[in-house]
This record gives sequence, structure tokens and C-alpha cells, in this order.
Amino acid sequence: MADSSALFAAGVKDYRDTYWQPEYRPLDTDVLTAFRVTPQAGVPIEEAGAAVAAESSTGTWTQVWTDHLVDIARYQAKCYRIDDLGSDDRQAICYIAYPLDLFEEGSVANVMSSIVGNVFGFKALKALRLEDMRVPVAYLKTFQGPPNGIQVERDRLNKYGRPLLGCTIKPKLGLSARNYGRAVYEALRGGLDFTKDDENINSQPFMRWGDRFDFVMEAVKKAELESGERKGHYLNVSAPTVEETFERAEYAKALGSPIIMHDYLTAGFAMHQSLSHWCRRNGMLLHVHRAMHAVMDRQKNHGIHFRVLAKWLRMAGGDHLHVGTVVGKLEGDRASTLGVIDLLRLDRIEADPSRGIYFDQDWASLPAVMPVASGGIHVHHMPDLVDIFGDDSVLQFGGGTLGHPWGNAAGATANRVALEACVKARNEGRSLVAEGPAILREAAAWSPELRVAMETWKSITFEFDTVDTLDTAVPAALKGAS
Amino acid sequence: MMRMETFSYLPPLTEDEIRSQVRNLTRQGLIPGIEYSAAPQPRDSYWTLWKLPFVERPAPDVVLAEVDACAAANPQAHVKLVGYDSARQGQVVSFVVRRPA
Repeated sequence: MADSSALFAAGVKDYRDTYWQPEYRPLDTDVLTAFRVTPQAGVPIEEAGAAVAAESSTGTWTQVWTDHLVDIARYQAKCYRIDDLGSDDRQAICYIAYPLDLFEEGSVANVMSSIVGNVFGFKALKALRLEDMRVPVAYLKTFQGPPNGIQVERDRLNKYGRPLLGCTIKPKLGLSARNYGRAVYEALRGGLDFTKDDENINSQPFMRWGDRFDFVMEAVKKAELESGERKGHYLNVSAPTVEETFERAEYAKALGSPIIMHDYLTAGFAMHQSLSHWCRRNGMLLHVHRAMHAVMDRQKNHGIHFRVLAKWLRMAGGDHLHVGTVVGKLEGDRASTLGVIDLLRLDRIEADPSRGIYFDQDWASLPAVMPVASGGIHVHHMPDLVDIFGDDSVLQFGGGTLGHPWGNAAGATANRVALEACVKARNEGRSLVAEGPAILREAAAWSPELRVAMETWKSITFEFDTVDTLDTAVPAALKGAS
Repeated sequence: MMRMETFSYLPPLTEDEIRSQVRNLTRQGLIPGIEYSAAPQPRDSYWTLWKLPFVERPAPDVVLAEVDACAAANPQAHVKLVGYDSARQGQVVSFVVRRPA
């Protein structure tokens, strides 16, 4: 073509011209996000917030002629509010609304590719963190969610009015299948409800998965007959391929296991969601581990907060999810963890900045997930754990069961006695916070297993400062709609 | 050793302790019910109902009197107290209150 004049308005224009819309009022059907944005020096915060909206929806760095064939206003995300946090590096919470048509029905994978995709490497930002996401009811209704939910799990397991007790079998790696089954049997007969495969136990040369499943289920059934209680072991079906994962799940079902286990972040959401659907069809409980979460959720200024990863799990489906302990050795701010527990268990949660919850969330009767407290906890933590987590939780003591000087069964009994003493006292109106140590001492007077456990772990604490913290103060400068 | 779930790792509850648990159940607005079985099995979800769940939510002493009546009529049975939550549409409390003499 001889004529060299431009055929459309080519070039680069500021994102804020299109994507910063402080007058916008979010719709009930919009997906809403709260991002912690740290702009590069010289980048105005409105431009940074608008850039996040653009890069996670319709925007490209330059104008293209095909933009004109699309109703951009219909598909674009809008940055509608910015809260300046007053920090030296100019961090702000940018609120962004996404129209529902941007996302495929029932696909967490699609939500992630859109919202936490390329934008996290965007050059105009120093750092970016997804703090929270409001999932609209219209979108939630395209998800199955947890295969069973808390009440169905209780009915299947015949366990009511108390937290459930679990234990991860240790050492994590190296036990033969038969010796591993022994450790399971001892812990279950001593009084636990569940034992658990470690996340990195899959099918290694020292113990192939089929051998593990055989011996473990023999142990589970024997412990059930002896105790008169229903028991389970989280058989980890995580495998190298989709096909092998389902082969292991099918075998667990054939052996009569009530529950299987899967690592949702390392395996990926599409795999996990398929397995969750299989669990619903097959009446199988699904225990979900979160290996790799801290890679994404630990830094305050970059990544994805765990409350978002937890919401995505409730959408993709799982009956149990690890959430940390608050009292144990692992990272986890108390208020923030309590917020995550509510997001997993309740049907409606109100926005509450003091707990890091930025949006109201209505789950529209999606089944609930049991939070799992695990990591560095022992019998002295029991009153606090029962107080914090309440009945609908799994308390998981690994070393705190197996490290008992008299062995697994005694360790399990010590924890079960402590748990039941705490629940009974709570129901009688006693304060677990104020009277916890006295409640344990009273039970130890008649339980030698508990007495020895209390002696063994009497001065073990793990107290480090948290890396992540909440911004509880009300932001100084509000821009845009509230 | 046969255990049978919540509170079975504690010494048998005294009358006062059972009353306290029943009070806690009714305080939460739960519906009490009584079930019994002479041959409990871990996979048995349905023990025999003693009368019907007490949907009128009677006072704790009335519930305890029913427990006694059930145990007297079935001396070889385990008796358990359950609590139904109509909002959750399920049981939320269940523990054995009498064992065979």
C-alpha cells in the first residue's frame, strides 16, 4: 500500500484513561479482587492499579486495530478504588472488578490464568500480591465444591461433638509398607480417628503405593474392630500422571478406604478438580494438603494470600484443608488464620479488615471444608486448639503422638484423653483459655499416658515473629467507590 | 477395648456430669434423642430409637429420666444420647451415657 498514513489510532496510551474508573459501582455478578500494589518509582498509583486491571483482562501494552472489533467496555476489568497504605514504598490496596463473562464456568484454572497470570511479572510494578477475591454467587453456582462437606463427613464417620484427631506417620520417608502399617495400627488403636501419609510419600522404591495401601487398610480395619470406632488413613493418591492418580483412587475405594489425600497445588487445579468430582461420585472423603503454598503466600508484598488459595480450594473441592495452627511451630498470624477458618466453614462471611478479609463472601450453600491444624503441636496445646478451632476441625499431632516414650498407641491415647477432657470441660462452661492447664492436670491424675506426654513436652514452644502481618488500621486516603 | 466415640476415653460420666452435658445440649437449642443397642458395631449407623427424638426440647431432668427408663428396660444395652441440629440437618452431639451393668 502506497499511502503511509495510519489506518487507526496506533500507539501507547495510559492505562488509567481506560481502566481507572473511580465512579464504577461493582455489580453483584462481578468477580472482585483486592491487590496489594507496590509501584515502581515514578509510576503513579492510579496508573499502577489501572495497569493491573488491564493486564489481567483485556489490555495489551499497545493499541491494536482488533480492539475496535470488540466492545471493550463490556469485557474490561475496572480498578474502582485505591486505598493508600502510607508506606515508604507507596503500597496501596487496589480494588478491581471483573465482568463474569471473562471466566469459563467451573474453572479455577481459568481464574488463575486470568487474574494471577502475566500481570505478576509486569515491569511497572515492584511487587504485587492478591490479598482477597470475592467470588459472585452466579459464578459459584458453576462449581461442585467439596465432595462431601463437614456434616456428611461426620455422618459417614459417626463422630459428633468434638474435633477429629489425626497423625502423620513418621519418619516421612523410608519405612517399608509392613512397618508403616504397624505404625498406623498402633496410632489408630490408641484412639486416633485418622492417620495420614506424608505429602512426599507417593510411590518410591522403598514403599510402592499398592503395598502401602494393602498394609494400611489391614491396619485400619483391625483397629476399627478392636475399638468399635470408625477409622481412616489418608491414602495419598498424588501420582506422576492423571491416569495413575485415578488408578490409586480406585484401588483405595476397592479396599474400603473412607478417605484419600491429594496435594492440590503441586498437582494443579484441573487434576484436583477432576479428583474432587470423582470423590463426589464415589462417596469418598478428600483430604487436601497444601505443599508449595508458602512459595506463594508467605511474603507480605508479593504473591497470593492463603485466604485466596483456600477459597479456590473450596471451589475446586476438598473435605479437609491444612491451615496451620496459630499455636504451633509454623508461620501463621492468629487473626488471619481465624479468617481463613471462617472462609472454609461458614456459608456467609462479612468483610473484616482486622482479619484481612476485604469482601463479604456468600458461599450459596457450597459444602464446607474442615480446617486441619497440623505442625509442631503437642498435648499442652490442646486447650488452645479446641478453643480456637472448635468442633469442626481435624487436630493433627505427628511427633506429638509418635514421640510418646511408650509408643504410638499411648501417644494417641494421651491426645484423645486430653481432647475429650477439654471438650467436656468446655461444654460444662469452663474456660479453656483460663483453665486449660488445670483441665489437663485433672485428667492426667487418672491417665498415665497423658501424664507422661505432659512431662515429655512440658517446655517445648516454637515462637518466632510472623513474616506476614495484617494492616488493621483504616487506610488514610480513600479514593474511589467504597 | 471397645470405646465408642466421644467421651469414651474418659471415666464413666457421673449423673451430675451427664446432666451438665444435657444442659449444654438444650442450651444450644438442639433436639435430644436416645438410642440403644445390645450389640454395637462400628459400622452400625442406626441403633434402636427410644421413643422418638424429643422435638419439644424438654428440660434436662426429663431427658435424664428417659435415659433411666431406657436403661432399665434394656439392661444389656449401651444407651447413647444424641443431639439434632435442624439448621445443619444432622446430628452434632452423640455420646454413650449407659453401659451394660
